[in-house]
Amino acid sequence: MGADDESLSRRVLREGKTKAGLVLVLVLVLFSAAGPLVSSHDPFASDFTFGISKEQTPLGPSALHWLGTDRIYRDELVRLALGGRLSLAIGLGATAIATAVGALVGMIAGFFEGSVVDVVLMRIVDVILAFPFLLLVMTLGVVFERTTPLTILFTLGLTGWLGTARIVRAKTIGIRSLDFVQAARALGQSTPRLIWLHVVPNVSPLLLVLGTMSVAQMIIAESVLSYLGAGISPPTPTWGHMLFEGQDYYQAAPWILLAPAVTILASVLGFNLLGEGLRDAIEPKR
Amino acid sequence: MVKAALRRLAYVVFVVWAAVTLSFIASNVLPSDPARMVAGPQARPEDVARIKKDLGLDRPATVRYGLFLSRLLHVSSLPDTDAAHKTCGTLGPLHVDLGKSYQQRRPVLTILGERLPRTLALAVVAVFLQVLFGVSAGAFAAKRRGSAADTATVTASLLGVSAPTFILGLFLQWLLAYRLNLLPLDGFGKTFADHATCIVLPALTLGLFGAAYYTRVVRDEMRAELLRDYVRTARAKGASELGVVRHALANVALPLVTLIALDLGGLVGGAIVTESLFRWPGLGSLSVTAILDRDGPLVQGCVIVTSAAIVVSNMVADGLYGILDPRTRRR
Repeated sequence: MGADDESLSRRVLREGKTKAGLVLVLVLVLFSAAGPLVSSHDPFASDFTFGISKEQTPLGPSALHWLGTDRIYRDELVRLALGGRLSLAIGLGATAIATAVGALVGMIAGFFEGSVVDVVLMRIVDVILAFPFLLLVMTLGVVFERTTPLTILFTLGLTGWLGTARIVRAKTIGIRSLDFVQAARALGQSTPRLIWLHVVPNVSPLLLVLGTMSVAQMIIAESVLSYLGAGISPPTPTWGHMLFEGQDYYQAAPWILLAPAVTILASVLGFNLLGEGLRDAIEPKR
Repeated sequence: MVKAALRRLAYVVFVVWAAVTLSFIASNVLPSDPARMVAGPQARPEDVARIKKDLGLDRPATVRYGLFLSRLLHVSSLPDTDAAHKTCGTLGPLHVDLGKSYQQRRPVLTILGERLPRTLALAVVAVFLQVLFGVSAGAFAAKRRGSAADTATVTASLLGVSAPTFILGLFLQWLLAYRLNLLPLDGFGKTFADHATCIVLPALTLGLFGAAYYTRVVRDEMRAELLRDYVRTARAKGASELGVVRHALANVALPLVTLIALDLGGLVGGAIVTESLFRWPGLGSLSVTAILDRDGPLVQGCVIVTSAAIVVSNMVADGLYGILDPRTRRR
């Protein structure tokens, strides 16, 4: 196992995509984590002295406010960093929930392929998949009246597992019929043990790839929710909400729109690159 | 054959029923008050109570659900001018009733009938653009594998799949409508010429986003196809490079057609973000306002159309696969 792991991690890092993705993600995480600590600006305070132009409009990038000020003259950069904490935390947290649920459902359905359990689980997946993801998330988001970061996290997590479940199910069916699993079963290993010892280790690389790419999808979903007005209530900044606010200012103050747009794009690109790099390393080249 | 068709129909009905029930539960049982949304935040409690009675919301949710299902599809000899059937759509004695929108006070069926053609138009133009751009870019990159043009196409498509539609849309809006002033910012317009110019930006947004993905699929598939024996044979027999590409494309068409069917189904349900961004009055933007307004009947109407479109397109994709690739046909 050891030698195999080593070559895998080396293979992963040799991929140019992985490196680029890793750098992007790390930079964003560092920026979000350290930004609010390092910055001398208060993310919730308006700067009526240096953040406002003579015409009472937000001020563009300057030495004091590197990315300018937002529509009520707050420092854009420090808000971007603070929003990043929330956007990234929601992306990662929702992915963790979605991957765990998806893996569990997929492995159970796959292992008992054709049984009542499998049929019921897959019908549930079919039905929820027929419900457009955004519509489902929005309905849940609206139902919770005041949306907190936690409700968004759970809403996204509990709706985002369907694709994972389907893919994991297919993979599990393949693994189940392999000789060594059949042998273990013939030797009398219990089903939970079979799944834990043989299916889980074989599915986990796949989960890593799916999970990484899912973070990108979750970040988009959170932004879209905020953008459509069903996201986290202000004043807490998230990238999606900042983008929403910036939309009305793109003529007078384009930086308010540009900053969150570029950041969202960079984070999605980062996680996508990382996921593809991992996939290329794990799966043999076609 | 008939049995299989019936089975599939039953499956469609089941999924649509389950999705509608889910949306009914979400908009009725969970804590949110449509009557208060209609009345407004300043309304007096007695007004809210009156509206509640008007909308039939004073009855228990189970009763309303039963009523909703029995009205959804019923047989009646009365025409839709009859007082009890004002919200019905009729097909002979067969009535379809989706109720009345809380906010708009109009039959849901009428509203859907207005919105669906616009969403269909957007879906068709968008898919046409994404196939056009995606296939040509993908085939181009595969033909010049390893070249700078290939790398550029791949990078652009990776960027494209990473750009959420609202960012791509905002950029296109800024560039083509605001900066270059070539197109209207958003909206739908009044005449056909208006519609035709208004559709460009949302369709282009959806089309470019989808094309990024198609490019990657077509490029990967083409690369594999171009290494196959039949390509070598065709070249040996003196086929032109264009002819070779045409041969290979025919084999790439199979996964592509499946993708197209699925995309069309998804888009018929409405491109929620794109339609909202460009204020295109289709089903997508309708669903958003319906949800934000807690307009239960309207949400359910949208869900019926959307889920049916998705299930049917899934089925069509499966069926097309069987027709186009005889190897997968079951005896």
